[in-house]
Amino acid sequence: MLDTAGSKPPILSAHDVTRTFSFGRGVGVVAVDRLSLEVEEGEFVCLLGASGCGKTTMLNMFAGFIQPSSGEVRLRGRPITGIEPRCGMIFQSYALFPWKTVRGNVEFGLKMQGMGRRERHDRAQRYIDLVKLRGFEDHYPSELSGGMQQRVTFARMLAADPEVLLMDEPFAALDAMTRQVMQEELLRIHEASGKTIVFITHSIDEALILANRIVVMSSRPGRVKAVLKNSLPSPRHVTVQLSAEYARLKSEIWALVESEVRSHDEASRDLGAGATQA
Amino acid sequence: MTGQLREQVTAKSPGPAAKPVKADARIWLSRTLSLLSVLVFLGVWMMATESGWVAPVFLPSLRTVLSEASKLVSSGELWGAVLISSQRVFIGFALAAIVAIPLGILMGVWWPAKAIVGPFVSLLRPLPSITWIPLTMLWLGIGESQKVAIVFMGSWLYILLATVEATKQVDPLLVRAARNLGAGDLAIMREVILPGSLPGIIAGLKITLAIAWSCVLSAEMVAAQSGLGALIWQAKDWGNLALVLVGMICISITVLLADRLANIIERALLPWQRGGRH
Repeated sequence: MLDTAGSKPPILSAHDVTRTFSFGRGVGVVAVDRLSLEVEEGEFVCLLGASGCGKTTMLNMFAGFIQPSSGEVRLRGRPITGIEPRCGMIFQSYALFPWKTVRGNVEFGLKMQGMGRRERHDRAQRYIDLVKLRGFEDHYPSELSGGMQQRVTFARMLAADPEVLLMDEPFAALDAMTRQVMQEELLRIHEASGKTIVFITHSIDEALILANRIVVMSSRPGRVKAVLKNSLPSPRHVTVQLSAEYARLKSEIWALVESEVRSHDEASRDLGAGATQA
Repeated sequence: MTGQLREQVTAKSPGPAAKPVKADARIWLSRTLSLLSVLVFLGVWMMATESGWVAPVFLPSLRTVLSEASKLVSSGELWGAVLISSQRVFIGFALAAIVAIPLGILMGVWWPAKAIVGPFVSLLRPLPSITWIPLTMLWLGIGESQKVAIVFMGSWLYILLATVEATKQVDPLLVRAARNLGAGDLAIMREVILPGSLPGIIAGLKITLAIAWSCVLSAEMVAAQSGLGALIWQAKDWGNLALVLVGMICISITVLLADRLANIIERALLPWQRGGRH
């Protein structure tokens, strides 16, 4: 099912990556097992799987927050061995600096890059405008709604201009309507910036609306179960959900995922404890 | 997530419109009650002393205290005492903060620092600052520097402990996010750990400020020619109980005002904590 890549080398890749977590003596969990994946430049890839399938672990390895137990993750062919600012992470819980205003947050990455005050200000303003937060520059994150806070993280990340955007269920904490608006805006941003995006979700709908390519993962240990090319027309609009093609794809993916979810559910019950997804 | 919570709260508030009125009435009632309780106390005091139930040697009358106070104010002696004590507290406290806050942050983020300073903290912590009076007098005499030293010894440890504790409260996700945006170790300290622990540090400083005042007063009572502590100690020697009471009330008011000032400074330093969504 893996579609053959073009002649260009992948921007981001995982080669036979395994990651285990140990909890005290001898108790270990294999979060990701011999996973290989290639992401092309400009692509929007969704990692889709039930909770506990190691998708966050995989993303954390791409960002360099954690290292593989074996195998290698690479950015433009070079191994990622430490925290990699060229792979910008958007967190589900926003991770905005509460003591900085919207502008201060958006300027942060630029400040770290050593950009001058004036240039920083102008560039930050551009991205604040892009995420439609003009007029809120001097507000603190605690004064904004969840959706607005997530927009700030987008502006902060885009202003810093990483090569790859990693997104860890960024809309999971939002209400359904805000999520829909944010999905459309993310599509618009992707269209405009041409950035490579690796997006984690457990929602089939979200994956179908957003992705060019959907990587379905199996649980415990996390492996690639299938890779599907999203044949829905793009640029996409949420109304695509009404098409017959959409329904066909959704049931195809559900068939792949269903057994995973059920077996995972049973496994959790057998373990007696909830999922300890690291 | 916090955004959602707040939304729920704001959504609720327009409901029961009668509630704020009730709360308002409660505030007024409580203030009246406080005022009444003070008036009753003063009345009992007046009755007890004026009628001769209590001998003036044990408790001077309210009138004597007031006239003693007005004498002290008009001679300028009171301001002099307040000023010199405040100055000692301010210098000792500021020095303690300058030493303890950076050291505390270092201990919070770099374990060897904690291992090196830890034993001294454990040993010094149980020692009340007055136990330093003999040594400091030997080393520094009974001048200003000795008073400042007592304030310093009495406050730096508390500021240090509060700072170490505050650095632990900083969300590790924010550190991760900052690194992902290209921050190095120094920038993490300056941009994330310091502002993130500032609320805890300031809370610690406020508690320590009251301790610093008790330090200066005990030092002034043992060996000093000036300051509020010396004032009440000398008044005791002269048998002027009214003056002792005036001094005590004055200490109380000064420390209260210092606390108010600290609150104002706190709000200026932590603008992001000023309130939620509007």
